[in-house]
Amino acid sequence: MLEIQNLTKKYGSHLAVDHVTFTVPSGQVGILLGPNGAGKSTIIKSIAGLLRYEGGVGIDRMPARALEAKRIFAYVPEIPAMFDALTVREHLEYVRRAYDSNITEEGIQHLLARFELDDKQGKLGNELSKGMMQKVSICCALAIQPKAILLDEPMVGLDPAAIKELKEVVMELKANGVTVLISTHMLEMVKDLWDVMFIMERGKIIGSFTREQAKDKDIEDLFFQITGGGEAS
Amino acid sequence: MKSFFYLYQKTIKNRVKKALKRPVAYLGVIFISLYILMIYQSFQVFILEGQFNSTDNLVTLLSIITFWLIPANLISYAKRKGLLFRPSEVHFVFQAPVSPKMVLMFAGVKSFAINILIGLVIAILGVAWFEAGILQAGMYFLFFVVFESILEASAIIFCYGNERLPARFFHGLVLAMYLFIAAVAGLAAFLMITKEPSFGLLKEFFALPAIQLIPVVGWNISATRLIFLGPDLVNLVGTSFFLCSTLGMFLAAWRMKCTGAYYEDAMKFADDYQARRAKQKKGIVSIPWLEKHKKLKQASVEYKGTYAKAIYFRQMLEYKKNPTFIFGWNTLLCLGIGLLVGAVSYFNDLGSEIGMAKVFIIPGVASYMVFVFSGYATKWSKELENAYTYLIPDTPLRKVWYATKIEHIRSLADGLLITLPGAITLGIGPVMAVLTIFLYVCLQANRLYYGMLADAIVGNILGNTGRTLVKMLLQMLALSIAIVPTVIAGIFVGVEMGFFLLILFMGVLTFAGAAIASVSFQRMEVQG
Repeated sequence: MLEIQNLTKKYGSHLAVDHVTFTVPSGQVGILLGPNGAGKSTIIKSIAGLLRYEGGVGIDRMPARALEAKRIFAYVPEIPAMFDALTVREHLEYVRRAYDSNITEEGIQHLLARFELDDKQGKLGNELSKGMMQKVSICCALAIQPKAILLDEPMVGLDPAAIKELKEVVMELKANGVTVLISTHMLEMVKDLWDVMFIMERGKIIGSFTREQAKDKDIEDLFFQITGGGEAS
Repeated sequence: MKSFFYLYQKTIKNRVKKALKRPVAYLGVIFISLYILMIYQSFQVFILEGQFNSTDNLVTLLSIITFWLIPANLISYAKRKGLLFRPSEVHFVFQAPVSPKMVLMFAGVKSFAINILIGLVIAILGVAWFEAGILQAGMYFLFFVVFESILEASAIIFCYGNERLPARFFHGLVLAMYLFIAAVAGLAAFLMITKEPSFGLLKEFFALPAIQLIPVVGWNISATRLIFLGPDLVNLVGTSFFLCSTLGMFLAAWRMKCTGAYYEDAMKFADDYQARRAKQKKGIVSIPWLEKHKKLKQASVEYKGTYAKAIYFRQMLEYKKNPTFIFGWNTLLCLGIGLLVGAVSYFNDLGSEIGMAKVFIIPGVASYMVFVFSGYATKWSKELENAYTYLIPDTPLRKVWYATKIEHIRSLADGLLITLPGAITLGIGPVMAVLTIFLYVCLQANRLYYGMLADAIVGNILGNTGRTLVKMLLQMLALSIAIVPTVIAGIFVGVEMGFFLLILFMGVLTFAGAAIASVSFQRMEVQG
């Protein structure tokens, strides 16, 4: 479970996130939507522990900054950054050691094969394209075998095959009881995945729905009904 | 922790493996080894022949370094800019289930490794040059590596990991350190002015009990004196304070609660540093404070031409919006150098002292600037990153010319600033002054186009150092061709004719280089 309680973040005098509260229950997929500058990235970075904030963030009922919570938490940032001098394979090995993950050799091979990285294992971080970095970043997050995962614009830069694979991965995670939160602009890409939706504008949650509440309504219609805009920018 | 060892081990191994595959790395190792050998030899002669080789002098040198280094380190840590985290570390290290204090130590390892290196150098040079005993050198190495590193690690945790003390406290700490450095520098300057300035004076200054008992910095000096000069009451007291303060800082850092609130500052610094590095790689001089406060003006330009000429007018529009137009730091540098040449010539009466040779002073200084300064990136180099440049339906040579035309105007202004003050005080005639300015413009153009040519020839194959070496080689080649008619004309016709022929020949060779380099404007792909 991912709990965000009264999260507030200021940059100087600018209020980027204003008392935001929401919960993504265990084994469900939450999506965080909103136009540019709505505060999505600030929330994501706060959950990931990269920013100072007021309020609370909990992962499986533990404070997000606690080491126990970090052990079961994975994060895929919007812009992946690789170690220049580590190969793809060594990135995964580092993650396996850093999290003392139970992932096996076969598990790593399987992950790499799913994202078509099995022939790129020996490539160094600075030799990868943006799309490949994104795939490595996703594989590293999955290698943790997390109970909660945060994906910030995960589809950007991915090829159609990888997007399809990622969608399947998200559904598998959900089936295995993993809590997933995805922040995205690409409404079309997440329309089949979500269980709970949070729409943000100017640092606040202005609308939230569960799949049941939305019934058969299209995700785009819901988004524009709430934001009043003509496009999901 | 094991994962961090793995990270360092693999990073070092892969970097070495990659470096060994590049021929330029071997050249670099040879060059650096020779350079270190040269420095070692020249300092050895200076120290031994100048009878500077006493442990007393070593202690004074180390005291100067300590007085500078400890406050400077503390300032950088208090500003949370002393540790360098890369975006990859923000992504993979900050997220790892590891104590944030351990993450600080992970970054601090680079500083501690440097401490080991410095400690080793001091110990070896202490024995080789300053008559220190092996035991003393070993003791100092241990002191420097163990206690200094503990102190530094504690300072890092105290400054980064402290989540109780307000930001105001750390601003105050930075200010106090600046004031401390200023006070010590002021006091040293006062002594140098009021007494006979000598190294002996510095020796006396750092031996003062009041200096040795200054918290942390002075206590460190006490320990150094105890190791190399033997015990006395002051250094025993100072060393005891140093050891107690190090232990105290260590315990405080150990007990301090740290949840990783510093990640935000570290992440921001990582992003800023990355952006600055990217600019530096392109040769762009960037001062973050100025960048933040830079405001563009409203401006307009009339496009008096089409195709490649549009590049020139678009650049002109951008420069007109710039508060300092086409001028920048290089202009100030040229003005400074010009005034310096003028002042030195005036006060030393060089105009009459060295006779006709005076006409070579300004060209000599100008050539030094052109050769030594690798050049600064301006709007022209950005044209090569812009796909539209390649799509404009015009010849590559015209694109080269119009993309770089403003550079020549800028060189003209810079040449004027370098030449004019010296020309006046040296009493150089208008013809020679004009020729000197044109020579500077010509040399700058040569540097620019030959740099472009080196890029076109070697691309990314030899790296930045390789490109610079190839560029310098081409420049020297051109100069050695042009110098022959110059010398002949200088001897048989006159200096003016010599200068004129130098400009002419260098101009032709530069144009030839530009014509070949224009291939860079033909396709965006870079070799290698």
